[in-house]
Amino acid sequence: MDRIKTTEIAIIGAGPAGLAAAIEATKARARATLIDENARPGGQLFKQIHKFFGSQAHGAGVRGFQIGQELCAEAEKLGVELLLNTTVYGLFEGRVLGLMNEHKTMSLKAEKIIIATGATENALPFPGWTLPGVMTAGAAQTMMNIHRVLPGKRVLMVGGGNVGLIVAYQLMQAGAELIALVEAASQIGGYQVHAAKLERAGAKILTSHSIKEARGKNHVESAVIAKLNPGWQPIEGTEREFEVDTICLSVGLTPLAEIALMAGCEFRYAKERGGHVPVLDEDMQTTLSGIYVAGDAAGVDEASIAMEEGRIAGIAAAESLGYIESKQAKILKAESKNRLFELKQVEHSDLSRPVPTQAGRRRGEDGGAKYFRSESPPPDFMECNDSIAALHSPIPIIECTQYIPCNPCETSCPSHAIIVGKPITNLPKLDPDKCTGCGICIACCPGLAIVLLDMTFSDTESLVTIPYEYLPMPRVSDEVDAVNRYGETLCKAKVIRIRNPKSFAKTALVSIAVPKQVAIEVKGIMIV
Amino acid sequence: MLICRCEEITEEEIIEAIRTGARSIAGIRRRTRAGMGLCQGRTCRRLLAGILARETGIPSDDILSETRRPPLRPLKLNIL
Repeated sequence: MDRIKTTEIAIIGAGPAGLAAAIEATKARARATLIDENARPGGQLFKQIHKFFGSQAHGAGVRGFQIGQELCAEAEKLGVELLLNTTVYGLFEGRVLGLMNEHKTMSLKAEKIIIATGATENALPFPGWTLPGVMTAGAAQTMMNIHRVLPGKRVLMVGGGNVGLIVAYQLMQAGAELIALVEAASQIGGYQVHAAKLERAGAKILTSHSIKEARGKNHVESAVIAKLNPGWQPIEGTEREFEVDTICLSVGLTPLAEIALMAGCEFRYAKERGGHVPVLDEDMQTTLSGIYVAGDAAGVDEASIAMEEGRIAGIAAAESLGYIESKQAKILKAESKNRLFELKQVEHSDLSRPVPTQAGRRRGEDGGAKYFRSESPPPDFMECNDSIAALHSPIPIIECTQYIPCNPCETSCPSHAIIVGKPITNLPKLDPDKCTGCGICIACCPGLAIVLLDMTFSDTESLVTIPYEYLPMPRVSDEVDAVNRYGETLCKAKVIRIRNPKSFAKTALVSIAVPKQVAIEVKGIMIV
Repeated sequence: MLICRCEEITEEEIIEAIRTGARSIAGIRRRTRAGMGLCQGRTCRRLLAGILARETGIPSDDILSETRRPPLRPLKLNIL
């Protein structure tokens, strides 16, 4: 074993939390060593090809991998010391970390330790779950978005949280067919806007359903699903078998803070954050002085939250080493805490609660995501629907019905026609008098929840502009199917215009001409 | 049905371990080797807790993780 190396702040895990912690600590001129077992930093960020929610300060509207690139570039510029392909195998007396790479073991003595080791995906056992072809949603995402290998052609997604919904969408973007998404609860747990992307592509979302069995000889050949009773037990006789080659499991995450557990930090049970999590103070410090935990390891949440937690831990660790005066540290931490507060001001249970709207009428027996449960009057920004026929100028129809912390529609609007305000979980409000119909909000909405409706296109036709993120891209004057929110064909439509500038970050705007009477129902296109 | 894939321990074996007195993840682990394989329980730990809660009625927030000892990840002896 080599002699013991030393550093001031050892940060374990170079995902969003670890990178952010290393950046803050290094900015303060502390010596930070960032350790990751992978060949490159970024954690799960490089798998995230969707646009993030939040505000501009959180990097909203930017795709996850680009946030990863920005963080890595900043860390490199600051000269963060990076130990890649290096695994922490233990934490010993005196804050000595046991490290190993392929060739040797090393010891690293640190004055402060920040644990940013993320989370691990939960497993779900059922007969056949060990067959090749059953994998976690994250594994499928790694195969697709990192290694560029499509895990299968016909996929069943198990779990309707945000991970399941997002990965299902990405599988469809990559060319797989989503046979169904099943969710055991009576409504999906993820954001409605993510579910809507699947539904308007014609995918089935089956709530109160789960997988019962995977069948196949050497590989998954089919999946048996069943309807569940309110006690989550399968109802006999409701089994259905689908031919699939891939079953993705997206049934939650568990924080991975084993190093903190090994060190003897106190833990508490927090069901909403994935299980047992370390007890932390407001500096993200554990019950053991000098040991911090940030990101999913501290409790499962989103990458934007992980970054802020990492920043706080990095600042606090640098402060405790005397690199930042407490007054200055207080200001810096407050900035991060404000951004955190913006993302967390609505508890998760409330976030997933649907806002009543008639925008999404409920579908029949086991069809539809059932996130719209009420037939009560819609929020006021939807009221324009009723008078839509009377519109004299193009207008965005914003189907944002949940309290999601997100406001790129507001900040991207050049004419300030969309107001979200504070808190950023507010629903957007449109001022039709200010709106010029430019369509920028459509491309900037991370939820792809806006379409632009121009009833003035011609005497008989309206122009509907939708966000589109699939390949191949249609071409102008192509004939496509105009579909409703359930992916059902409404009519044939001619592509009039395509806008795909760099600033839209690969969310193209496709404008199609459709008969006036169906225009309000058009939510997407399908290339036939 | 396999629960611990690394050590190939089935649900029946785990239930049997609980029947013979296991009341913690460590107890199941000692009796069956579930969670002692390559992944050190990262995949099955939660499943073991679930089975334990279901079979004994112990609330899942009371089912603590077993003690962690180094090495957290498989460590080759020739590099030690």
